[in-house]
Amino acid sequence: MVSGAFVEVAPPVRSREARAAGMPDTVPASPALWQRVRRIAPPYLYLLPAVVLLVVWTYQPLAQTFVLSTYSWNLVPSTPMVDVGLGNYERLLSTPELGRSVWRTVVVILGILPFTVGIPVAVALLTRRVRGRAQGVYRALVFAPMLVAPVAGAAVWQWLLDPSAGAVNRVLGTDVNWLNTAGTAQLSIIVITGWHVVGFAVLVVTAGLAGINPDYAAAAQVDGASRSQVTRWITLPLLSPTLAFLVLMTVLLSAQWTFPLIDTLTQGGPVGSTTNLYYLLWEYGFRSHDAGLAAAAGVLFFLGFIVVAALLTRLAERLSHHDD
Amino acid sequence: MSRIQLQGLTRRFGAVTAVDDIGLDVADGEFLVLLGPSGCGKSTLLRMIAGLLPPSEGRLWLDDTEITHLPPQRRDVAMVFQSYALYPHLSVARNIGFPLRTRKRPRAEIKAKVAEVAATLGLTDLLDRKPRELSGGQRQRVALGRALVRDPGAFLMDEPLSNLDAKLRAGTRAEIAGLHRRLRATTVYVTHDQVEAMTMATRIALLNEGRLEQLGTPSEVYDAPASVFAATFLGSPAMNVVDTTVRAVDGTLVAEAEGLRLSLGIDADIPDRPVRLGVRPEHLTLTSAGGQGIRAVVTAVENLGSEEVAHCDTGVSVRGPRPLGVVPGEAVTLSARPEHLHLFDHDSGRRLAWQAASVPQPV
Repeated sequence: MVSGAFVEVAPPVRSREARAAGMPDTVPASPALWQRVRRIAPPYLYLLPAVVLLVVWTYQPLAQTFVLSTYSWNLVPSTPMVDVGLGNYERLLSTPELGRSVWRTVVVILGILPFTVGIPVAVALLTRRVRGRAQGVYRALVFAPMLVAPVAGAAVWQWLLDPSAGAVNRVLGTDVNWLNTAGTAQLSIIVITGWHVVGFAVLVVTAGLAGINPDYAAAAQVDGASRSQVTRWITLPLLSPTLAFLVLMTVLLSAQWTFPLIDTLTQGGPVGSTTNLYYLLWEYGFRSHDAGLAAAAGVLFFLGFIVVAALLTRLAERLSHHDD
Repeated sequence: MSRIQLQGLTRRFGAVTAVDDIGLDVADGEFLVLLGPSGCGKSTLLRMIAGLLPPSEGRLWLDDTEITHLPPQRRDVAMVFQSYALYPHLSVARNIGFPLRTRKRPRAEIKAKVAEVAATLGLTDLLDRKPRELSGGQRQRVALGRALVRDPGAFLMDEPLSNLDAKLRAGTRAEIAGLHRRLRATTVYVTHDQVEAMTMATRIALLNEGRLEQLGTPSEVYDAPASVFAATFLGSPAMNVVDTTVRAVDGTLVAEAEGLRLSLGIDADIPDRPVRLGVRPEHLTLTSAGGQGIRAVVTAVENLGSEEVAHCDTGVSVRGPRPLGVVPGEAVTLSARPEHLHLFDHDSGRRLAWQAASVPQPV
């Protein structure tokens, strides 16, 4: 008889144990401070120019606005600035103009939404099948108004809307003094602004549509969905992040888009009917030379838009479907 | 369940003919695999059957209905996409129920049917999840569920397993095959994977450059490849194909080339003819050097675990149980039985079959 015993086969040696067992350590000793700085610094150095520009042109003026909003000052360098604390805010909140301008801003936003969401979605869906050279021509045509300087566009529209010789009245067979009537002035501003931005919005929606995997629509068709069902149940929901982006842009920026038009065409009139938030702020600062009041208005709008933007961004986050 | 017929189906993209004059008759309950390398037109063909791509020429029938010009939503077929195409904004339940929703079925019926399908596929616990919260295998099941939820005339599957890892693929392969056995559903399945084709198909349609290369059961296609392409596409490693000349020696036919002499086992007398000789690696046996066969020198030996493959300098490879007992550098002679030799025309590459002039004789 032969005696023996089973012996467990040893597993491969692990590197940590090998090191403990006294084998040479491949990791060098911790480098000197200078070497560590050199290793860590590059990404920050790349960021530096952008950060410097942001601080100089955005954050510093922002901070100065906060400071300025607590002073009374008429923008003349030789006049001393008087510290009034929250006086500017009290004055601002007690003027009836503020509430009216907020309401007008809401009207402008609601009026421009069809141009940035409704019309672009319809146009992009209908022209999806345009291909080749026709596609390029068509996109250029739609985008062209965006390239026209707002002030130049405004000048042309002023002629078109002229009450006596304007093309608009002739085409519509009306006799309206578009820019000098309280109701139609706001409407004109909205439509002209919409005309400017609609091409951009169509491009954004077209890009959004192109980003949707065509397999979804194909699968839905094979699953039995009609063309309108595919649009309602698949395409539009998948497009919703793009639409949320456009809504966000509209809410935050449409009052700014109207500014050059208002300043050229109506100067906030007639009887303040086109004075929205931004125009009001500008009037305080550069018509009334009330720098403190304008700064206080700026600060309030800034905070207000932060809240609106935060809400809309959260909404957009919830709408986005991570398509993979 | 339905029969699918294709007649002269052709699709051109500009100057390129992706699918060239394909005629197929897929019987009711059949599992037809469209097999071929990438770019052979198999997916294009499937998309034409689904109605997602109009054919340039040809006609299509589902049972007795011509569907050539019907839009996809009016064809009674369900399709599983390679990407699965699960609607990312809808839950698993709504994804599976989608085909019923488009048919405006009552909500209760949809719910019951979805629950039933989910139970078959083991998806019951996942019904409220969104596709992005699922693993690859689970997504694949949901895609399958969406096809199963209505009883379509036929299932179309476009490489449904190509996004799964090897282990999951083997499991899902068996599952799809089992599903087909149970439902007896007419299925057209696109793949470039010969293992999927061999294991799942009732018939394989082998495509090459848009044309139908061979149509037959997996055994037919493997045992009697119709062309050099079919011979080398199936099998791993691929069939050895060597240029030889068939000539009569002492009243029997042999294939001859430099360092090669194999008997074809046919007693006949014909003038010399150049042919391409094919023999599968597993049908070659190692014999002692000096005998009749293929003389070669081993250049490398691959260990596959249960088997070994020896690659030789002439481009020929041998496959057999491990150990083969050869080492690189060794001179060997390989022989094969006549019934394992395939002959192909030297120019066209089509299979050659022996036909005796008077008395019929087996190849």
